[in-house]
Amino acid sequence: MRNDRELPAPPPVAGRVLDADLELLDRQILDPDGVPISAVDDLELSTPADLARLDPQHPPVVQALLTGPILMTRIFGGRLPESRFIRIPWSIVTRVGTVVSVGAAADSLDASWTERWMRDHVISRIPGGRHDPE
Amino acid sequence: MILSDLLGSPVLTADGERVGQVVDARLALDGPPDGFMVRTRVYGLVVSPHAHRSFAGYERTGVDAPALIARFLSWRARGSVLVLWTDLASFTDDVVRLRPGARLYSPRLEHSGP
Repeated sequence: MRNDRELPAPPPVAGRVLDADLELLDRQILDPDGVPISAVDDLELSTPADLARLDPQHPPVVQALLTGPILMTRIFGGRLPESRFIRIPWSIVTRVGTVVSVGAAADSLDASWTERWMRDHVISRIPGGRHDPE
Repeated sequence: MILSDLLGSPVLTADGERVGQVVDARLALDGPPDGFMVRTRVYGLVVSPHAHRSFAGYERTGVDAPALIARFLSWRARGSVLVLWTDLASFTDDVVRLRPGARLYSPRLEHSGP
């Protein structure tokens, strides 16, 4: 059995290092006001030009956080088609910690459209649904 | 390409020997500025010969509590390794193949840099 204590440490990296599944997936995404947007369900990576001969000088880069209706695939297996995911560009991510913060308001992102639809078409039609509780 | 394309893929050496399957992708935030963040690249893949998924990353973080859970999950992820992107030869038919002479590194996660 291979023991990881016998393995060398990888070459150091100038910036921060994080493991995607461990430190990004399933994290909540918050806007600058702390409003929840969604959770990170997957990551969009750039696709190498030739998958049969990977170029060591051009590794994939993270392009977007993906969020989508993945509950059924987690229960029953399978994978959600890429087209069902909603993208949140990596360039608007401001911080990755216990939550992922983005620099855009939740209402301006496609990822929160179900919340907005529910608010505008259902909640607002309930008496008292257009203002905060008193 | 999405991350899920890589996760769960078997990893083979140049000779066809099975190393394990991809349980995580290690990212390096060391590129030029990209909006609020920096460009973030795939630095390597965490490969486990036993576990299908890594749960809570006990084998990478050095966390040892609660002791029973830590021992069980570390045992389940025993033999995990990190392979660098520069050592990957191809990713075709959902199989990752390593270059001849590819090196295996410790998967332990040492947070470095600023």
